[in-house]
Amino acid sequence: MIEIRFHGRGGQGAVTASRLIAEAVAKEGKYAQAIPMYGTERRGAPVTAYVRIDYRPIRRRDLVHEPDIVIVIDPILSRKPSVAAGLKSGGLLLLNYPTPPEEVEIGGDFMVSTVDATTIALETLGRPITNTAVLGAFSRVTGITKLKSLEEAILKRFPGEIGKRNVEALRRAYEEVHLPKPAKGPLRPREEEPPHVTGYGVLKSVADWRVFRPVVDLEKCVGCRLCWIYCPETAISLVDEKPIIDYDKCKGCGICVHECPVKAIEFVRESV
Amino acid sequence: MTVEVMVGNKAAATGAKLSRVQVAVAFPVTPQTTIVEYLNEFITKGEMDCEFINVEGELSAQVVVQAASRIGARTFCCTSGPGCLYMHHPMHDTSSLRLPVVMAVVHRGNKGMQPDHTDLMSHIMTGWIQWYVENNQEVLDSIIMAYRVAEDMRVRIPIAVGYDGYILSYTAEPVDVPEQEEVDDFLPPYKPTPSLMPEDFDPKAPLWWRVPWEEHHKVIVDAKEVIKEVNEEFGKRFGRSYGNGLVEEYRCEDAEAVIVAMGTIASTARDAIDNLKAEGKPIGLVKLKCLVPFPYEDFQRIGSEVRAIGMIDRNVCLGVGGVGHTFIRNAIYDLEERPKVLGFHAGLAGKEVKVSDIERMAEKVLKAARGESVSPLVEWV
Repeated sequence: MIEIRFHGRGGQGAVTASRLIAEAVAKEGKYAQAIPMYGTERRGAPVTAYVRIDYRPIRRRDLVHEPDIVIVIDPILSRKPSVAAGLKSGGLLLLNYPTPPEEVEIGGDFMVSTVDATTIALETLGRPITNTAVLGAFSRVTGITKLKSLEEAILKRFPGEIGKRNVEALRRAYEEVHLPKPAKGPLRPREEEPPHVTGYGVLKSVADWRVFRPVVDLEKCVGCRLCWIYCPETAISLVDEKPIIDYDKCKGCGICVHECPVKAIEFVRESV
Repeated sequence: MTVEVMVGNKAAATGAKLSRVQVAVAFPVTPQTTIVEYLNEFITKGEMDCEFINVEGELSAQVVVQAASRIGARTFCCTSGPGCLYMHHPMHDTSSLRLPVVMAVVHRGNKGMQPDHTDLMSHIMTGWIQWYVENNQEVLDSIIMAYRVAEDMRVRIPIAVGYDGYILSYTAEPVDVPEQEEVDDFLPPYKPTPSLMPEDFDPKAPLWWRVPWEEHHKVIVDAKEVIKEVNEEFGKRFGRSYGNGLVEEYRCEDAEAVIVAMGTIASTARDAIDNLKAEGKPIGLVKLKCLVPFPYEDFQRIGSEVRAIGMIDRNVCLGVGGVGHTFIRNAIYDLEERPKVLGFHAGLAGKEVKVSDIERMAEKVLKAARGESVSPLVEWV
């Protein structure tokens, strides 16, 4: 039995990715279980999903605690060593990460492979939904499921143009993935930091929820306060009638960018 | 037959579709909500000829399925946790009026969002047949079987098919979907008795009103034979059956002890039993599928064959104990030589039950079977 754990954020498609793998391997005559871990997650919040794959029906219904493979589809979660918690010795850590595995800071007795899925997704889909790109990398690196089975599963679920673009993302990642190297980074997972809980609410920083960061041009700002009114996280305070963003509270939802009547707020992609 | 990877809630909706349900009534409640969505998708695409009635709450949902069932529609309802509790009062009537409604209950415990069996078990006295199933295939198959049992003229009692929310409702796995023709052959159209439709309504015939307690109880007890028959016939036609329809014994040959589990815990327990068997330990699993009517005869037979039974209850009847534990002890009381019956509460409020948890419980039951002293107290895992 092969056990996989996915990390991502609500909206990036970790749950869908887990189901696509299950559908693809089922086409190849294998058995699978795709388990989403739902709590009160929503768009942007870190989420976890699991997949089990076997040659016979899968009966155990507990969660996956010692995965053979960990797949992280979010580039900022990919920086957290805790995503590798419980990963089996000799296992594989597949990260959505812009640089080759040698530059990954997470280390341990497992292999690490990287793919710049966010860039691929932005260029093929026009939005940072990274699941299908990461699946292309998964197929190439693990060989657990054929690219064709994944393509069929994607086109069945997303007929038409969206499906085609996702298949494009899948194929590009298949070609562009950096093949596994031993994980030699200095950072080790700490077991006390469960990977699926990375902070929520006013007491903890939600900075790593963001893909884009709102940046205010105070010269352009006319002090209308609309951003301050609309911010759902009260991340904006007014200093001398001008907005100051508390980036520990900002989840990068982009509402302020949308509401600003003079386009004084720019949405800048977070650097990884 | 085609294999489709689907979540438990789609399996339930597909079971209703294949059963040619004519009226479906439900109020959305997590984790049942997507059954409502799948049903409406089937209806909108024209795959299912069914009236979906939107209601303002579960109490109405249950009353509307009663009315629809009474005039002759095959009816389906589905709910979870608090919604299930909200329909308690009319559920008594559905059974008293002997209406063959089938309802999927996607378990959500009474203390929060996460699953345990306390929602459906709160309805033990409503006169509904209660099944607890372990995987998505069994969800689909049991919905089809439930109509066949419920509509049998010897039964005419509603059936609730319970499965663990989250653990099955949102987990996708391969499910064999039978062909419509096969299901049609297995499940003939439903005819109400007496019919209230104008063309065959007989004003002189006695109206079917609430059945008296003694007769009502006997009908449900006797339904066990029909459940066994239907399960066996389903197995012959579709190549899958679930024990004898009431309980399933897994690797119980030469067992000196058994553990008893329900729902998804029974599924996980199969791996635990395989591990223990590989170590040569004389233990087996009994999956308790049908809680109401309770399979007393099966447990009397099992009780005479083993030295210890360990019941894993994903429930607690507060101030009384585990429901399965209490019933099994009741079942074996009249045996000349009684086995030990140990009780465990596990998986309440969605607490994860691991293979290793079940192995540990099983070791305690084996210890009791060997005659070693174990604490008689029920254990919370």
